[in-house]
Amino acid sequence: MSFFPQASFYGIGLIGKSLDAFQLAENVTSNNIANVNTPGASRQQAVLTQAVPIVGSPGYAVHVGGTVGDGAAVQNIQRIHSDTYDSMFRGASSSQNYYSVQNDALNSLQSTFGDPNSGVSTQFTAFQTAINQMVAQAGSGQSDSVRANVLAQAQSLTNALNQTASAITAQKATTLSQAGTLVTTVNGILDQIASLNGQIRASTAVGDNPNTFADQRDQLIDNLSQYMSTQTAIQPDGSTLVTVNGQALVNDAVAYHLATPTIGTSATGQSTFKIDFASNPPAAATAPGIPLGSGQLAGLQDLYNNKLSVYGTQLDQFSSGLADSINRVTTASYDQNGQPGQALFAPIVGTLPIGAANIRLGISNASQLPLALANTAAGSLVVPLNSANNVVDTSQQLTNNGNLANPPAAGLLGTLTVTVDGASQSFTYSTTAGGNADSIDDFIGSFNAAHLGATASYDASAQRIVFARDPANADLAHRAAQGANPTDPTFTVVDSNYAVATPATSLLGVLGAGGIDNVVENAANAFGSHDNGGANALLATFSSSSGVPAVQTTSAAAAVAATPMTIPLPAGTNDVTVGSVLTLDATTGGGAPQENVVVTGISINTVTGIESITFVPAAAHAVGFSVASAQVQTLGAFYGNLITQVGLDGQTVSTGTSTQTTLASNIDATRQGISGINIDEETQNLIKYQNAYQAAARTMNVLDSLLNTVINTLGVH
Amino acid sequence: MRIATSQIFSQQTASIDNLTAQQSQLGNELSTGKRVNRPSDDPTHIAQDLSLRTQIAQGNQTGDNVANLSAELTTVDGALSSVTDVLQKARALAVSGASDALTPAQRQAMATQVDGLLGELVGLGNTQYAGKYVFGGTAALGQAPVKPGGTPTSSVTFSGNLQSQTQVLPSGQSVPSSVSIQQAFNFASTDGSPNAFQTLIDLRNALAQGTVADVSQAGVNVPGTSLAPITPINTAGILSTPLVADANGNTDISISSALAPNGVTIAINPNLPMASVLAAINAQTGATGVTASFDYAQQKLTLSSSAGAPFQVQDIVSPGAPTPGNFTAAFGLTQQADQTNTVSAQIGDVDTILNVALNARTTVGQTIQNLQTVASLQSSQVLNNTAVQSGIEDADIAKVITAFSQTQTALQAAYGTTTKLESKSLFDYLG
Repeated sequence: MSFFPQASFYGIGLIGKSLDAFQLAENVTSNNIANVNTPGASRQQAVLTQAVPIVGSPGYAVHVGGTVGDGAAVQNIQRIHSDTYDSMFRGASSSQNYYSVQNDALNSLQSTFGDPNSGVSTQFTAFQTAINQMVAQAGSGQSDSVRANVLAQAQSLTNALNQTASAITAQKATTLSQAGTLVTTVNGILDQIASLNGQIRASTAVGDNPNTFADQRDQLIDNLSQYMSTQTAIQPDGSTLVTVNGQALVNDAVAYHLATPTIGTSATGQSTFKIDFASNPPAAATAPGIPLGSGQLAGLQDLYNNKLSVYGTQLDQFSSGLADSINRVTTASYDQNGQPGQALFAPIVGTLPIGAANIRLGISNASQLPLALANTAAGSLVVPLNSANNVVDTSQQLTNNGNLANPPAAGLLGTLTVTVDGASQSFTYSTTAGGNADSIDDFIGSFNAAHLGATASYDASAQRIVFARDPANADLAHRAAQGANPTDPTFTVVDSNYAVATPATSLLGVLGAGGIDNVVENAANAFGSHDNGGANALLATFSSSSGVPAVQTTSAAAAVAATPMTIPLPAGTNDVTVGSVLTLDATTGGGAPQENVVVTGISINTVTGIESITFVPAAAHAVGFSVASAQVQTLGAFYGNLITQVGLDGQTVSTGTSTQTTLASNIDATRQGISGINIDEETQNLIKYQNAYQAAARTMNVLDSLLNTVINTLGVH
Repeated sequence: MRIATSQIFSQQTASIDNLTAQQSQLGNELSTGKRVNRPSDDPTHIAQDLSLRTQIAQGNQTGDNVANLSAELTTVDGALSSVTDVLQKARALAVSGASDALTPAQRQAMATQVDGLLGELVGLGNTQYAGKYVFGGTAALGQAPVKPGGTPTSSVTFSGNLQSQTQVLPSGQSVPSSVSIQQAFNFASTDGSPNAFQTLIDLRNALAQGTVADVSQAGVNVPGTSLAPITPINTAGILSTPLVADANGNTDISISSALAPNGVTIAINPNLPMASVLAAINAQTGATGVTASFDYAQQKLTLSSSAGAPFQVQDIVSPGAPTPGNFTAAFGLTQQADQTNTVSAQIGDVDTILNVALNARTTVGQTIQNLQTVASLQSSQVLNNTAVQSGIEDADIAKVITAFSQTQTALQAAYGTTTKLESKSLFDYLG
């Protein structure tokens, strides 16, 4: 066994290295404490390791069968972080922001709607009540004030519609500008991520561990996920690829900027909100924008396209339906002055169709509100249908009936053309036994059941047939045709067989009504201004199906007579069932050839979700013919459904906000549990490293005194 | 479990925010008393809520309308009640006026009374409710529809129409708000019988001027049948004494009076309706001073001359024919009537219009009764709807207050916890 002397300063070097390590560990702890409230900061840990002695150094003492070691050193400064929780958090954060950005908008929109305590529904009810009151007070001394009240309530209703419409429009504009601001923010974030990617790549290349940069980048991606769904992929060079549903936002040090949001046109022709890339805008205006997934930008897009636009459209439909139903009655009536009635609701801008923002009162004086309905009873147009001194029994056969002035021969056949609201419909009659005009009673029954917009009745004392304008008995064609209101309450009934010289050869001649053949009606034919027919019909409007067509579309294909055809319906239409009646017109708003068809089949494309209907037209129709189906609900119910939708949307986003907020904060808590900084823990580290440092310093002191002994005590005196 | 220091603060902040939001929501429910303040508070019920609000408002208005309608019908009923009173007085005057024991002066006094009654009746015909003439029909009226003409009143004109005034309830039910002047005063009756005003004019004239009239002794019809204005008079089975024409097929009569001492021949074709017969006789009024009218209700023919001038009616033979027609026999006419008969003949007419007025009153009474049913149904519907609406909208105050206190307690605890947590750190214990 030989003696190997120890290097004199070996111990001091060893302990000095440890002092350095502990100091570094204290510095890491200090940095942690300093960043306790810094968003996105991950705690760092100084990973201490035994310094491995160099071969041949005093610490590498193989001769005594063991090594002492070379003290302690900091192996690296580790960033405690879990990328798994990052992506979970970002998903939840996107959803939370998707809902919360809509929640604020829908909250304020609901206050604008004001239902149920104020707003359109309240004004609509007040309008109905005013009409109900007017019906009761016709002709009385209070009638003027009551009629003035109807006008005032109608004015309030239009105001409420205008206000709600402008609130929706304003909200849409706000949504668009809000999205514009967000896009600017997003572009800034993308730039920063790209720049950090560059720095991280450079640091990583030289073997560095850029913890702080990584924290900043994660924090920026967290921020980005508030605005849209993001996915990340860390590349081998340390940079990260940030994508939104497969489309790159940041690749290495390149950021792909978003363009300012635009209002484009969807494939079905609706104006839609979309966001494209600034550098690579799509050629076609109908091309869909970037699929944003979730987050605030997607929330604003959903708000604009699927909520605000839908509410606006439905409110427009309510307004035009209201105007259509009410105007149909007012224009089919005579007013208090005996003048033909005018439309109660008119568009503000005449060239545009009536909508919630484009509706005003068409009359200014309460005396112009409707009273009597047009009627053929009292004028000189009709003559008694009986022969002199005979009474006609309306249940008796018309054929060869001696009590008639002009009894028809057996089997009279022909067609009546009834023109109402500018739309003509035909009614084919037959006086053959068992036919629809076998007797006067049969004729009246079948004529009224045809819903031609006019009804027939029999005035037994005057022995006359009476045709009256009846807006409540109008057919689909008149209901569905938007804006086809007459300019005055006249209507005509024309018999194709009618000839003045031979009245017995036509049904109108037989009925003594030949005089109205091709002759328009006039005010003298109304029963009198206190006949409340017009006002009563107004009241009935509220309990009948609305003027809002359940389906209103045009066909892209031509129809071939007697051949089944299938056409797709616009999205969101679901009020049509097999057996529903559709009205086909040459153009929207009416026009020949016109016919009613029955839906024979409905199919749904499971991929696109588009619903199609099948029907068999009797006549041929050119490309672009309109297809309409009458609404099956009242105006009140239609508006109720709109408000239900607003309420459901409001509830969904509010619930979504709160659940997603909870989810995001729970995930964040877990994430912070791993990477967050805890002061108490850092204090413990501080104490731990301080103690170790103190011990090491003390060791240094001892070693120093050892050397002192050797140098000073053993020396020559 | 590791908790990051910043997490302690953010979690506390979040729970305080949540509790504050809850408290604000509950506070809103308490201050409005309503659970549903926005559509999103209860979207599944909001449509029903809106429809209930409309129904309640409409129900209340309909209740007002029905009350108004009842008041109007009560006015009509009152007017009709007065009409029957007036007619009963007139009937009493007619009965006593028919007595032979009266002097012309006494009859004249009675005539004056009847004239007064006529004035009352005209006034009743113009009864108004809230500025509306209840018997005016549906015509636009700037002035009273019933207008007497002449002094003393010799005719009454009507400028309204015969349409009945109706009011539609939101249920679609159409309720008459009055009766027509035809139903109340027998004006323009379908059977041709005289109206209330004309009856009183005739009665007054009969009393005042001693009109001489020849009236059918009894109804000319076979019981169960009746002669209508448009029925040819010789229609088989109607006349109890059918007309037997002379050899030329005529049943002509001759009327002679002071104006026409030699008699005026009037051609009567048995195949024409009554209206034509009356027209034929009245066409000669200028020559004979005799007017004819047929009371379709009583089925009696009346020929009368004014100012007490006597006249004679005779069946005549067509030239060359062997036998005269039997018009006077078929219509039960005598050669000449006296004044007493004239007045008593009016009693039947007064009875007819009295019946008409009473029938009208019955109709109105029934409508008022029906309206009471409608009104009570309406008010119970409003009550039910209000109860349902309250169930949807109203907050359960006791429950909300309890929840409010709970939230407040939790909030106070959260405040306490937060301040305690924030004040503690291991640093406090460093030497």
